[in-house]
Amino acid sequence: MKTVLHIIQDKLGIHARPAGQIVKLASQYSSDIKFTTASKTVDARRIMALMGLGVHQGDQLKVTFEGTDEAAAAAAFSAYLKESL
Amino acid sequence: MFQTLKKIFANPKQEKICDPVEGEAVPITDVSDPTFGEEILGKGIAIKPLKGRVVAPADGTVTVLIESSHAVSLLTDKGAEILVHVGLDTIQLEGQFFTAHVKVGDRVKRGDLLLEFDLDAIRKAGYDTITPVVVLNSNEYASIELFHGGPIKELDLLMRLMK
Repeated sequence: MKTVLHIIQDKLGIHARPAGQIVKLASQYSSDIKFTTASKTVDARRIMALMGLGVHQGDQLKVTFEGTDEAAAAAAFSAYLKESL
Repeated sequence: MFQTLKKIFANPKQEKICDPVEGEAVPITDVSDPTFGEEILGKGIAIKPLKGRVVAPADGTVTVLIESSHAVSLLTDKGAEILVHVGLDTIQLEGQFFTAHVKVGDRVKRGDLLLEFDLDAIRKAGYDTITPVVVLNSNEYASIELFHGGPIKELDLLMRLMK
């Protein structure tokens, strides 16, 4: 399993557009990908669940990857989160 | 005969989604924002609103209400995840011109008022008011029939989903 930690920098958090980007990125990998906040863990391929996390700027996000392409998925998400969220 | 008809009308694998906003129904691929236009969030229809109201498109539970009240999603009692997103980039308005009438976790009936918005003010502020209505769990359906034939009233048939 791989883990990526990220503090949300975007003041708008995970709304419709980033949720769509996350799902699109996650769909390129076969690994199980989960987003965890202080209160919830959700599947990175479920848009409604991602938006329902209600994350804000300053919140810590933990993303975990489990599967044959977990290293590649973790690298891609690490870059995406730094760039966009 | 009667049993067959009953089965068709009460088909648990079929779900009807009604129109949440009065206006003109157009293909979602007409939406300039690729998040919607390229169906990244799922299949759906876009409404060009004529009236600043969003009503529940089916019986269900409010699952997401973005804090700025420009978007709401429901999990319907039959399992569809429906997002109604009023306008493009309207998150930037930070809630101005939007009023929410529900909160996350509320049970709603088809036709209940979810949001109100000031259509003219949003337009004047420079935003496109086109309102995508998206089935977020589109991949769980074998077929999604879309009815985007122009003018549409609240609660007219908008989509038919088949498992």
